[in-house]
Amino acid sequence: MDVFDSAMLLTWYEWIAPCALGVSLGALLFHITRLIRLGKPDDTAPPLGNVGPAVFYSMTGAMSPAKKESAYLHLPTYLAGIIYHLGTFLSFLLFFFLLIRLPFPSLLTLLLSAFLLVSAVCGFGILVKRVVNLELRSLSNPDDYLSNILATLFQAATILTLYLPEWRASYFILASILFLYIPLGKLKHVIYFFAARYHLGFFYGWRGVWPPGKKERKTNC
Amino acid sequence: MTTDCLTVEQLKKGLEPLNGHGDSKLLTHLNSCVHCGLCADSCLFYLATCDPRLTPARKVDLISSVYKRYHTFTGKYLPVLSHARKLDKATADEMVDLFYGSCSICGRCTMHCSIGVDISYLVSVGRKMLANMDMVPATLQSTVNAAIETGNNMAIPTADYLDTLKWMEEEMADEVGDPEACIPVDQPGKRILYTLNPREPKFYPLSIAAMAKIFYVAGESWTLSTRMYDVTNYAFFSGNLDEATLIADRLWKEMEHLDAESLVLGECGHGTRAFRWESPNYMERGFPFPVMSSVECIANYIREGRIRLDPEKITVKVTMHDPCNLVRSGGIIREQRFILKQFVKNFVEMSPGGTDNHCCGGGGGLLSMSEYNDRRIKAGGIKAEQIRQTGAEIVVTPCHNCVDQLIQINAYYKLGVKIMTMAEIVAEAIVVK
Repeated sequence: MDVFDSAMLLTWYEWIAPCALGVSLGALLFHITRLIRLGKPDDTAPPLGNVGPAVFYSMTGAMSPAKKESAYLHLPTYLAGIIYHLGTFLSFLLFFFLLIRLPFPSLLTLLLSAFLLVSAVCGFGILVKRVVNLELRSLSNPDDYLSNILATLFQAATILTLYLPEWRASYFILASILFLYIPLGKLKHVIYFFAARYHLGFFYGWRGVWPPGKKERKTNC
Repeated sequence: MTTDCLTVEQLKKGLEPLNGHGDSKLLTHLNSCVHCGLCADSCLFYLATCDPRLTPARKVDLISSVYKRYHTFTGKYLPVLSHARKLDKATADEMVDLFYGSCSICGRCTMHCSIGVDISYLVSVGRKMLANMDMVPATLQSTVNAAIETGNNMAIPTADYLDTLKWMEEEMADEVGDPEACIPVDQPGKRILYTLNPREPKFYPLSIAAMAKIFYVAGESWTLSTRMYDVTNYAFFSGNLDEATLIADRLWKEMEHLDAESLVLGECGHGTRAFRWESPNYMERGFPFPVMSSVECIANYIREGRIRLDPEKITVKVTMHDPCNLVRSGGIIREQRFILKQFVKNFVEMSPGGTDNHCCGGGGGLLSMSEYNDRRIKAGGIKAEQIRQTGAEIVVTPCHNCVDQLIQINAYYKLGVKIMTMAEIVAEAIVVK
């Protein structure tokens, strides 16, 4: 059976999901292109440090939970967030395998499902926190809830589809909605997160704040 | 014609900073916040008041919701999804309160943001929008106006300024035991043009004498100016970059006029940031001369062996407050510690300190906006507690703006500490040959 024959075997919902993914990637590419076209800051102040190592630090050391109050003061939320994001990326990966109906060994299916279950519970926990916590609720908008619900349901649907093929239609329809929503709502932080870390690294690197070090320097006077 | 009490012209000018000129920084940060709300604990205004309206995320949300309403697909056609807001009078009034009245642009939230949103940068853009709409608080604008109209933000007449310098020259000459020791004024061709925070000639003249003493012992070739000596630039905080350019340009011109080799910026965090880091960008030209802070200058004198400090002079416990603009936004982190560790035997860091320090509460122009005095003093309670926990008797800070706020919280919270600038404590310990 060649590729054409395989494609002919796909049902309508198995067709729309990759199409939605294509649209999503195209829209995200638009965001990326726009950022690249606008370019990096053109700072005319003489630098006090190096941007390269600072950007690297911004993406690595500065992300360490020991360095950020948003992490070390909120460890349960931080941990739930990390697991939730890993689960989301794993679900995206499994989407391709489910699309081509790649069979998994039962043990692997069990392990993947177990992780996704934990991840989906984390996502649901974050959602509950947003609803219950008065301060967080007052900050939230429908996009915050919708983004969370879509990503969490996507993970839950992935688990179900791994075991129950009759869920495939719902799974691919849900995946299509999620893909189409990513570039429109806050889920586009999948792009902007890296851009933000870059700019932060650039700013602190140019001004000699990052990466932190012990070396003394002498300024010309 | 008006739009909810904003004129069409105001609306147009107010939205102009969001139009995406320049690089990708603005677009990035306007689109990055995920509303996790975890930044709240990094903001002294929230910590001091527990008011959820004052969290950094709310400030980001305020400006990004306006951006979304005019610049994104969902914001334009389905505003309810992201609570995208039109820029109207109510929104602008809220922006005034949050961007001017409850943020010192200290940048601590930025460093701790789970994503990396440059929150203080977005607040600065918000202030720019408000400045474009002529909505800068009158108190802050009057400080800017004084600088523009008189050449210094305290409107000190030149005769008074010169009298103060003469008086300080006598003080300094007495201290060093040299009747020839002087404070040079308007002397061309010197190696250094030194600038002051106008609070010095107005309220704290002894800090001028202190720095003059350091220059004297270092054998420095330096001068002050009468035409332009003000290191501050409150227009940078008001968001009116045309006025900030006008003020900064005077200092550039004075450097050229006096033909000085280097510019040394007096102890002022925001003044150093506004000139050293920001002015080349809003003036769109690079410096033709070296620029440094007085802290770096003093550190260099020590390294070069031009001054020596007596470790027996300061015996009490000393701590240091890091000015946000000098440290987090200026990269001057080690120099002040290097200086103090030369002669202070009992130095203790605040916790947190360095790039993680809490703002004193008086930054971002807040000291000049009396309508926010209560909030500012309350926010200063975080710093007061930090100071108390060190058990120090002296608090050193290389920023006259911070000195003012620290003096006020010292009295309000009954800390019983002595507040000193870096030049003042160095001058106390300096060995006069």
